[in-house]
Amino acid sequence: MRSFIPREIETLWTLFTAPVVWAFHFVVCYVVMAIACAKGSGSIEGLMGLRLFLGGFTLFCLLLIVGSAYLAWRQWGFGTDTPPHDAPTRQERQLFQGFATLLLSGLSFISVVFVALPLLFIPACMP
Amino acid sequence: MTRPGTRTETMPGAASAGGQPMEGQDPPRDLKAEEARLRKVWNTPGGWRYWTSVNNSEIGLWYGATAFIFMLFAGLLALVVRAQLAVPQNDLISADLFNQAFTLHGTVMMFLFAVPIFEAVAIFLLPPMLGARELPFPRLSAFGFWSFAIGGVFVCGSIFFKAAPNAGWFMYAPLATDKDYAGIGADVWLLGLSFIEVASIAAAVELIVGIMKCRAPGMRINMMPLFAWYLLIVAGMILFAFPPLIAGDILFEMERMFDWPFFDAARGGDPLLWQHLFWIFGHPEVYIIFLPAIALMAMIVPTFSQRPIVGYSWIVLAAVGTGFLSFGLWVHHMFATGLPQISLAFFSAASTAVAIPTGVQIFVFMATMLAGRVIFSVPMLFGTGGVAIFIIGGLTGVMVALAPFDWQAHDTYFIVAHLHYVLIGGMLFPVVAGIYYYFPLVDGKALSDRLGKIAFWLMFTGFNVAFFPMHLTGLRGMPRRVFTYPADIGWDWLNLISTIGAFVFAAGVGVVVIDILRPKKRQPDVKPNLWNAGTLEWLAEPKESWGVRSIPIISSRYPLWDQPDLAEGIKQGRYYLPDAKEGLRETLVTSVLDAKPIQVLRVGGTSMVTIAAAILLGGVFIAMTFHLWTLTILFGLGTLIAILYWLWTGTGAIPEAKEKDVGLGLSLPIYVSGPASVGWWAMFITMVGDGTAYGSLLFGYFFYWTIHDDFTAGLAGPGLVWPLAGSALFLASWVLMLMARQANERDRTSLTRMLLSASMLATLIGALAAFLGPHRYGMDPTVHVYPAIVWVLVGWLMVHAAAGLIMQGFCLARSFAGRMSAAYDMDIRNVTLFWHFLTVTALTTLPVIALFPLAR
Amino acid sequence: MQSALDPAGVEAQAVYWLFWICVIGGAIIWVGVMAVLFYAGRGGREAISQKAGQRIILIGGVLFPTVVLAALLSYALWLMPTVRPVTAQANSRLTLDVTSEQFWWRIAYPPEGDLPGFETANEIRLPLGERVGFRLHAADVIHSFWVPALGGKMDMIPGRTNFLSLEATRPGLYRAPCAEFCGTSHAVMGLTVVVMEQSAFDAWRKAQAQLQPVAAASGTAPRPATGNGPVVAADQTDRGQDGLAIFQRHGCAACHALRGTTAQGKIGPDLTRLGERATLAAGALPNTQEALAAFIRNPQKAKPGALMPAFPMIPPEELATLADYLRASP
Repeated sequence: MRSFIPREIETLWTLFTAPVVWAFHFVVCYVVMAIACAKGSGSIEGLMGLRLFLGGFTLFCLLLIVGSAYLAWRQWGFGTDTPPHDAPTRQERQLFQGFATLLLSGLSFISVVFVALPLLFIPACMP
Repeated sequence: MTRPGTRTETMPGAASAGGQPMEGQDPPRDLKAEEARLRKVWNTPGGWRYWTSVNNSEIGLWYGATAFIFMLFAGLLALVVRAQLAVPQNDLISADLFNQAFTLHGTVMMFLFAVPIFEAVAIFLLPPMLGARELPFPRLSAFGFWSFAIGGVFVCGSIFFKAAPNAGWFMYAPLATDKDYAGIGADVWLLGLSFIEVASIAAAVELIVGIMKCRAPGMRINMMPLFAWYLLIVAGMILFAFPPLIAGDILFEMERMFDWPFFDAARGGDPLLWQHLFWIFGHPEVYIIFLPAIALMAMIVPTFSQRPIVGYSWIVLAAVGTGFLSFGLWVHHMFATGLPQISLAFFSAASTAVAIPTGVQIFVFMATMLAGRVIFSVPMLFGTGGVAIFIIGGLTGVMVALAPFDWQAHDTYFIVAHLHYVLIGGMLFPVVAGIYYYFPLVDGKALSDRLGKIAFWLMFTGFNVAFFPMHLTGLRGMPRRVFTYPADIGWDWLNLISTIGAFVFAAGVGVVVIDILRPKKRQPDVKPNLWNAGTLEWLAEPKESWGVRSIPIISSRYPLWDQPDLAEGIKQGRYYLPDAKEGLRETLVTSVLDAKPIQVLRVGGTSMVTIAAAILLGGVFIAMTFHLWTLTILFGLGTLIAILYWLWTGTGAIPEAKEKDVGLGLSLPIYVSGPASVGWWAMFITMVGDGTAYGSLLFGYFFYWTIHDDFTAGLAGPGLVWPLAGSALFLASWVLMLMARQANERDRTSLTRMLLSASMLATLIGALAAFLGPHRYGMDPTVHVYPAIVWVLVGWLMVHAAAGLIMQGFCLARSFAGRMSAAYDMDIRNVTLFWHFLTVTALTTLPVIALFPLAR
Repeated sequence: MQSALDPAGVEAQAVYWLFWICVIGGAIIWVGVMAVLFYAGRGGREAISQKAGQRIILIGGVLFPTVVLAALLSYALWLMPTVRPVTAQANSRLTLDVTSEQFWWRIAYPPEGDLPGFETANEIRLPLGERVGFRLHAADVIHSFWVPALGGKMDMIPGRTNFLSLEATRPGLYRAPCAEFCGTSHAVMGLTVVVMEQSAFDAWRKAQAQLQPVAAASGTAPRPATGNGPVVAADQTDRGQDGLAIFQRHGCAACHALRGTTAQGKIGPDLTRLGERATLAAGALPNTQEALAAFIRNPQKAKPGALMPAFPMIPPEELATLADYLRASP
């Protein structure tokens, strides 16, 4: 991974990687289940397969977030420097970006886990 | 607050280390003459022309005052509602008036107060806070304000003609599409608010570009005031939240005016589509309201703790996290609609998760207070009082995020209590804190400490007395929006207490109003930076309209604390752009991440065209409300002419020189085009919003597919030939447009013109082909929802094609006028950007309507 | 009798516990946060370090809420299919069709065995301790079906049929308001739910089912008991007979049904055995003769926006007769 992705990506967008993964995970879970319930039979057995599929998809998304967190951690210098990262230098700006991205990865990780919890508890489409 | 000075880097052009300005420029400067020139350029006109001003300080103030007046109006409506509910079986007002009153109360508070007040504060505060002279598009701000004022007066005024909307502020179809019940009020709501939504999107464009590109040199992304971080996120949220409502408004108005059955179940429509579109907007809206208010807290708390914020990055996490999560909550307003439990559960989970970033913000404030020495002044009182209230709203918010509890609480007074705890604690109290905090920036006078404290205690007790009992009233079974209730089921004394509390609360608001309005002529001016705050806006001089005397170089999050000579240097014009030799309004454009100066931006000055355009556009919406079609078309043409005049005279002016000396030995280009320019960004951001609206309409198409076994209902589709031919033509027009841009880059003027014309022709025929598909197959949009949704998509495409044609014509005209060349290519590059979006729209719409019915 | 805090059903009971868990937990959190805020506002304390501040944010703002919320969310998610079971739709022995209209409720009991089905209005009777299904429809705009004492609500949406099941655990009379704003008289659109012991319920259902609409003979509308048509000057002693005549003469039967007679209007609520209902006009009025007479004279007073026209032309004594008749009707 280290070799593919350059150490310094000069953009604001990397900040949003993990939340975008969360949004993607959320939309896929919602749309897949909404279509399955509207168009499929909505049976417990039919839904079981989808729950397993979405469970696997959740793991995939969590991996992506962990990847984003690793890159952020690297950008943050593996935690060698501590906040507030407010000095007027390019380096401090990058440390700030890394730290903020790391925090957002953490929040996104938690949120993806939360959104996946229904797959454990809700067996069918009933209202 | 020591920081390693060794790592400090110099800004380009700053001769000495540490970003300090150079002493003693070579030729002696005439500071008085500089000031006079600046003053003249940025002058706010007097007399009636005062209203043509576009200065951010004036626009911000008018915007804020107007929103505040709307708030008072909606507050009075709430008192009427509370008076009616004081006792059971009351007949103070009629059911019909009651229904109009609560609908208008909600509508005005949400659309005419809560969102606009933050736009107002942002327009007023951001330039001085970021060290900019102006926002990048001051005339756009002015246009937004006038649109808002006209639309707002129209919506509020309707109640005096018994024509106010009366179906609740979320206007559920089919009650609100019922012409017998909702009358013209629903049109007033839809059209008046569409107009205001346009103003909000305009503000979003302005704020994003302003925050990203117009910061003072050296204000890197890690040094931006937190207010700017919040506003950046909020503006981004507006781009994705408001367009779905605009899409919904279009469907709604097509149903009301032309009987296209989008929400009519008898003809394949579904009332739930409106709920989806409304709440995809409506829930992010809550955070769009809440975050800017918390942003004010993030400025106030460090000031009164007399230390930098603890957890700057955490606030960024919270703002961004809330921004994203808030889009995964909308169905929690629809827990009782009978959607599958698994769908509800996803939204329940996201609604629970959003409590985490919200909690982080509160803990950041607590940590900052603990790490500092707190001074409990009036702003701090309102701030912490608001937090105390808001936390209760947040906790009940977690409760209603749990579907089983919401099944009981939904649509009861428990929800009324919850939403007021959230909005008043999370928004109104911080806003009042902000008013007390920032009032000295308006005209150098402070508000009264004593009155502020009285107001706080009245508001705080009144609020809790009014709204706390409502939790209980709701769980005892009182639904919201009832104009009367029986005496014997245990709601009577609870309601009476609520009403008393509401009047106490109103008295508190009244004290704030008195404090603001009382004459302050004899009161001495406060000293600058009254509260000893650390951020740049406290250098603003209320008596001057130039914003900032010279644009400083920043090297701290709290420059007024850490850069001792800064204020003096700015005042003596020792930084950038201390002069206005050409007699034009100028500000700096800097890079996104590190805020390196890259351009001198010339911004529009005082003008009538903004008011004219807003009045004409208002005319379009108002004429449409009353179905005066000729007048609508006339106003529409007028709006178009006004906007073209505005663009022709106000944008893309070719400067007298390529570069300009901005001071401190730095020369910057004046004309910039493409992705480096603010205009390109504005187009991009606008089109993202526009694309979201389009996506919402497309969502509608697939939504109808999911709810029906055969969503075409056996009706003919648009066929294959015409839509596919249309796709090919739009593709061709895109290729031609790209070629035209290339030709222009090589300065081949006549080839550019030919290619532009060819692209126009392809667009025209493409739009015609798109039209002929549904037309030739006789698709009647009033028969069933399938032809209706196809027509809406095609209509959307055609309107955009028409807009594109006008833009291409504008480029041609510029070319013939000799104002477009390889060096000055802003117009054609921005239009090409529009074309990318248009092409995506065409190449999704047409293949989808042609092929999807076959593939399903 | 209309309170979610006085539960008499399985779902309401479960949510009642959830409510108290949240209230107690929330109160502790609120008091804790307030205590810290007060401490922070005090003068003369030691200022904490930046590092300690970061730790407070991490623990108080992230770790603690994550754990608490995850537990609460899991409990609520588990509760969802528990209180609204997957199998309810298939397994309910009794499933009613409830249709909401501005501003009243049409209720249809299905046939069972040799008992025919029947339609009534504005009052539902349920057997105790049995899960009853409700198919929910809307005739005009969106309404919402909510019996706070028994369980949560479910919207009634035009073009959709929603399903809800409720199991009552305590006999009694429960009020149920319309919970989605549905127009001018949304506030006075109430439903009464009476939970009865199984045997009482069976008897009631049987009595109701036996009252079936009577076909009108050519030109006249005979009553089963006496066979007389709508006569103007009927026997003054037969108040019931007279009442029906008034009912017919003023065209009430165009909209309202009285099962057991030829009055079979379907537009408005069924009025059969009106006397046994707890309220009049879908919870708008107490069930008294005066209230009924006043309502017929001017329905807009109690129910603005209702479709029923006013009948100021009916003389007071006829109105009294009619009201008595309806309240005593079969």
